[in-house]
Amino acid sequence: MQADQLKASSGNPYLGKLTGSFDRANRTLAAVAIFFVLNAVWAQTKIGTLKPQDFPFYTWTGLAVEHLFKKEVGTPSVAFVGSSLVLYPVGNVDSDLVNGEIDAPRHNRSWYFEKKFKEASGREIRSFNFSLPGEMPSDAFLIEKFLFKGDKSPNVLVYGVGPRDFMDNLLPCPQATDPFLWLSRFGDYNDHIASIAPDWQTRLTYELGRAIFTYGHRIDLSTSGARVVASVLDKIAPATKPLSIADRRQIMPEYHPFECGVNDAMFRPYVDRPQPAFVDNVAEYKNRYRQLKWDTFLTQMKFLSETIDIAKSRGTTVVLVSMPVTDINRRLLGPHAADVYNKAVHVLASSKGVKLVDLFNAGGYEITDFNDTVHLNSVGGRKMLTALAQELASDKKVSSALNIKPLPVVSPLEPLHLASRKESLL
Amino acid sequence: MLFNSLQYLVFLPTVFLLYWILPHKARVPLLLVASYVFYMSWKPIYGLLILGLTAANFYLVPLLQKTENKKAMIGVIVAVNLVTLAIFKYLTFALGSVKDTLDLFHVSWREPHLHIILPLGISFFVFEFIHYAVEVYRGREPVKKFTEFALFASFFPTQIAGPIKRYQDFIPQLSIPAKFKWEYVDEGMQMILMGLFKKVIIADNLSNVVAAGFGHPGNFSSCDMWLITYAFAFQIFFDFAGYTDIARGSAMLFGYKVPINFNLPYLAANVADFWNRWHISLSSWLRDYLFIPLGGSRCSKILNYRNLFITMALGGLWHGAAMHFLAWGAYQGVLLIAHKLYSEALAKIGVGKDIIESRLYHWASIVVTFHIVCVGWVFFRADSVAVAMQIIQKLIAVPAELMHFSASQLAILQIRDPIIFPSLVLILPLMMLSQPIIAWMNDKKFYLSPPWALQVGVMVALMCILTIFSPDSSPKFIYFQF
Repeated sequence: MQADQLKASSGNPYLGKLTGSFDRANRTLAAVAIFFVLNAVWAQTKIGTLKPQDFPFYTWTGLAVEHLFKKEVGTPSVAFVGSSLVLYPVGNVDSDLVNGEIDAPRHNRSWYFEKKFKEASGREIRSFNFSLPGEMPSDAFLIEKFLFKGDKSPNVLVYGVGPRDFMDNLLPCPQATDPFLWLSRFGDYNDHIASIAPDWQTRLTYELGRAIFTYGHRIDLSTSGARVVASVLDKIAPATKPLSIADRRQIMPEYHPFECGVNDAMFRPYVDRPQPAFVDNVAEYKNRYRQLKWDTFLTQMKFLSETIDIAKSRGTTVVLVSMPVTDINRRLLGPHAADVYNKAVHVLASSKGVKLVDLFNAGGYEITDFNDTVHLNSVGGRKMLTALAQELASDKKVSSALNIKPLPVVSPLEPLHLASRKESLL
Repeated sequence: MLFNSLQYLVFLPTVFLLYWILPHKARVPLLLVASYVFYMSWKPIYGLLILGLTAANFYLVPLLQKTENKKAMIGVIVAVNLVTLAIFKYLTFALGSVKDTLDLFHVSWREPHLHIILPLGISFFVFEFIHYAVEVYRGREPVKKFTEFALFASFFPTQIAGPIKRYQDFIPQLSIPAKFKWEYVDEGMQMILMGLFKKVIIADNLSNVVAAGFGHPGNFSSCDMWLITYAFAFQIFFDFAGYTDIARGSAMLFGYKVPINFNLPYLAANVADFWNRWHISLSSWLRDYLFIPLGGSRCSKILNYRNLFITMALGGLWHGAAMHFLAWGAYQGVLLIAHKLYSEALAKIGVGKDIIESRLYHWASIVVTFHIVCVGWVFFRADSVAVAMQIIQKLIAVPAELMHFSASQLAILQIRDPIIFPSLVLILPLMMLSQPIIAWMNDKKFYLSPPWALQVGVMVALMCILTIFSPDSSPKFIYFQF
């Protein structure tokens, strides 16, 4: 029978040669089997893994996380999340407030908002600003799910959104942001993997990471290895004048591009001088808004929706802020995209029963309130935060969350008329 | 599609399984389709380029056997190939050189801006076509089947960065109805894993140091620049040797053998020996199809030197359309001439055989040759001749620096992240020592046929290291740009 099979199967190369060479040449199969067994054992021992907040190097995200878990922060009364649309005005306004430079990645509060809220409500609050450059709703979802829990669950969550959050053509997938890279260390997001890794390559990378311990924990393991080597080298050849991150960036601009050294990025005051010249980022946003990708839009809206759900389930009162942009930027969106964004935010807020502060349509923001076509400068930032403080102080749900008596409602979106800049800072 | 990419991790096993499942007559078409998929995954339109050149060579070369004016015919065929290469690779450089020359005479001319993208692997497959045409011109039989010829040029393991194959070695393998052997998998996987280790772990990490040093030489001392130059010597070796290993290993999975490209090049005792060990498939091609047709060494001394110089200068230019590559090639040509003159001088003076054949002389020659080659690498790696000269000046200044040396002068020790910088002081000596150690082990039984457990252990270790240190994005293989 075997001879007949061999004769009949002349086109099939497998028969007849396997047994002769298999025992000599099964190194690959044995190596693969041992590799997977080793990984399984290693996964149990977790040797070489780092705690989630033990970052190999610090970016804006790592610094924000580290700050959040500091004892003095306690439970934030009001937490801000959002992208640079929120980050920049909040930070720049505080710099004006103290009339001094502030190390931007290490500043995670809004002193100005706290001040204005106290003026409006009489209540002292502690804010925490977890807005980050490039933060997407998918990142805010991870912040809420993994970090804003237990004693770190804020009383009020203020989420500033803009059109870019839902229609950024420069972002291939949710996994591609720096915040995602570090926030994903804090929990399992497998239930959302289809949204987070929509294409086969990112999905394959993820699944390989789950199946192969060494691959899935390569950042931790390579960092642990590098630290061991560094400790040996510190004994043999210590650095007498270690190169700063800023100096290293001069000679290696592409290495850890988001790493933040001390005083690498500063908020600067513009109290006694004119605001910086308007930056034309039209070309950048033309690229970002190039196409309304429906999948991306729906995915990020879903993450926003789930962020709200989780926050509410933890007793957090959510306030959605649709951030103002210039007319220039609005025109880049095109009428349909702007309309879709606008309506989606309204519908979401209404369906979730959350307060929406619609600064996107409110008006009252001039071009002189902006640093570029989307980012408010400190003048515009003061308008926004003052209006926001008054809105929140007069909101029943927010007042209840913060145990204060709500103020009578005033028109919150009237432009702030200032006698002088200095008076406004008092 | 890079060898160290997820796409290749899916592509290679798929092709491998299909290859061994399908009957023999389907294998060449399968590999041909796979090779075109591999090539066109980069830029689909350039699939037409390689197909067009393949067809042109396949139909023109057999005419060499029928025509009476063979010389004219081979000239036409070589010209078709070289003109294609010239248009895609050298036209922009040529126009820029014309402009620079006219600028010297204060003649203003705006050169046309051509947006020509260099097709991947064009330098390699054009050389394979020329080799094929010349061999048929010299009397060999042309390939009869278009599919086999097309696969010769497009074979995906060697498509992008060689080794440059010889058709008389490769084509006969295609007609062997090979049966599957587990040895193919084992040998192939070992070569692939070792190649990935050389590329991903060694070369890619060294590239951080090299990019910083060659991009900003002013930030580093002379001693630093020597270390960085050594680092580049090993980066380019491990990058290219790693690529070759992956190429050979991938070919081995299908039971095919492709030429080796390296033979411990940094153990060369002189520059001529270096070129017998470095990028062997290219240096033998240059010898057979440029140096020998020019007259080789069967002519007067002056013409011999001329032939050496032209061959190496053009070999340098093959690496890239830029002056610093031409300078590097010319430097190699001068070195080979100098080596010839030195050997002749030694013979004339009558330096004792016992001195020349002594171990001390041999090892001194290796060290000197290595450093001479490293100086050449400065021209190869620098962005321009001006930057290369700036670095050479720093290298020359090292004796003065060594007179007052202290470790604190080393800028690489002050950069603690990435850790590769200070690690150079440990890694470079290890890499230098690895070459003579491997040479010593090469004829030892335990190295040629290591125990089963050791082989498996090494493969497991390599898999662990590669998965731990695999980057999210890896620098391109250096030889991709050629």
